[in-house]
Amino acid sequence: MAPWLARLHDLNPRWLYLATGLLMIVPFVILIPMPAGTPSRATQGLYDAIESCPPDKVVWIDSSWDQGSRAENEAQLECVVRHLCRQHIRFVVTSVGITPFGPEFADRTIKPIAEKAGYVYGRDWVNTGFVQAPTPASLALIINGLARDFHSIRPADVHGTPIGDLPLMQKVRTIRDIHVIYAITYSPAQEWISFIKGQFGTPVAFGCMSIMAPSYYAFLDSGQLCGVLIGNRGAAQYEALIGRPSLGTRLSMAQSFGNAAIILAALVGNLGWWAARRARRKAP
Amino acid sequence: MTRRVVWMITFVGGLFFLLEFLLPEQAPDWLGGIKNPLTPYLGGVTNFLVVVATMAFLLGPFILVRRHVGTLVRRRQGWLESLVFVVFLGASLLAAALREEQVRSALSVLYDALFFGVLMAFFASSMALLAFYLASAAHRAFRVSSLEAGLMMAAAAIVLLGQVPLGDWLTQGLPKSLQLASVAQWILGVPNTAVQRAVMIGACGGAFAAGFRQWLGLGKGAA
Repeated sequence: MAPWLARLHDLNPRWLYLATGLLMIVPFVILIPMPAGTPSRATQGLYDAIESCPPDKVVWIDSSWDQGSRAENEAQLECVVRHLCRQHIRFVVTSVGITPFGPEFADRTIKPIAEKAGYVYGRDWVNTGFVQAPTPASLALIINGLARDFHSIRPADVHGTPIGDLPLMQKVRTIRDIHVIYAITYSPAQEWISFIKGQFGTPVAFGCMSIMAPSYYAFLDSGQLCGVLIGNRGAAQYEALIGRPSLGTRLSMAQSFGNAAIILAALVGNLGWWAARRARRKAP
Repeated sequence: MTRRVVWMITFVGGLFFLLEFLLPEQAPDWLGGIKNPLTPYLGGVTNFLVVVATMAFLLGPFILVRRHVGTLVRRRQGWLESLVFVVFLGASLLAAALREEQVRSALSVLYDALFFGVLMAFFASSMALLAFYLASAAHRAFRVSSLEAGLMMAAAAIVLLGQVPLGDWLTQGLPKSLQLASVAQWILGVPNTAVQRAVMIGACGGAFAAGFRQWLGLGKGAA
């Protein structure tokens, strides 16, 4: 057994950090063409739900993410907003609980896309801002309250304009005016399923971090979730469906190499550990 | 006495939300088609909840300011960090409260510099460090020392690669059912879902019992 192999066990972590950093930077510098893959049923479900939106209804997006989960949530919001604008579907944005920075990040992501598509704020889309919900129970009650009467829970939008003065919100009062709800955050709360899908039957879809995806498969199987965008992979698949590869595609490439770095680190560590153990056993 | 008042508020609040949720929006015609009498009050009661939650939300900054101003005034150890906190809090409050969104002013520049230049940069850096921690942890802590650990490592590697385009690229020559994406989907959709369901059923039973105890004031420290 080569003695250098055993040295991998005590590899200076700085080399590991350097390799990880380089591996994740490379896809941003060099364009590496890779297959986008067949859209999963989770991605296709959300796409189909939005495609079937009738003209008299709107899509409710709950965008409750900030810098902490921006790496995956931003692309998930971007691709869906692009799709909505292409289909001329109007939408309402909320940030229920989770983070007070939600409305700011949603605005920064949506505004350029909406303006480019000729969407007018107040007429075609509205950002109703942050609603405080510190516990899961209060989150459930606020979701329920918004579904029953949007105007009483959010009397003003994020800019302080009375919600009744916005042309779009004059037509949107209750859950009956909503076609589908798309909640994007690190790990969307299951209260959306119980209090929206369970109570009113309105389809619910999620956009979540890849790491949180395992907990939502049961709801996809049961039909309680119509779709889930899983991390950047989900966003990349959605971008392929709307025919516009963008942020999700680029980021999923970087994620590919990041994941590979983790697997390689585990392999190197195990190889070194195994070699060191053998060397110790053979030593007199 | 105070506990009894708290319990009463909890009980009445719980009863209101429970009945409002369970009663249908409108009774059937043979029952007179009466609308749910509690629904008109839902907005007001929920807003009350938002107000109480916002008061709790303010408590954190209030305690922080009191502590750091105290440290600063008495010049205790760490007063320099307290000064940074107080200055940044004051500047952020000032810029966020007084800037006009549509007008480019010194305050909006300050707001952008603090929010996107400082806070978001800190956020991004701390989150990005996780990637390096993960690589380091995988190298130092993940040892295939038994069959179970080997199975876990294999499943983790398949799911990690099956959820990214690299997995598609590596196995694109194989039949579809053997490609990493398909195997990862099977792991997530079959064994994972079965375990998730079992955990959820158990957790929901526990949450129901805990909620019921709290509502009826049977929990520890109740009246």
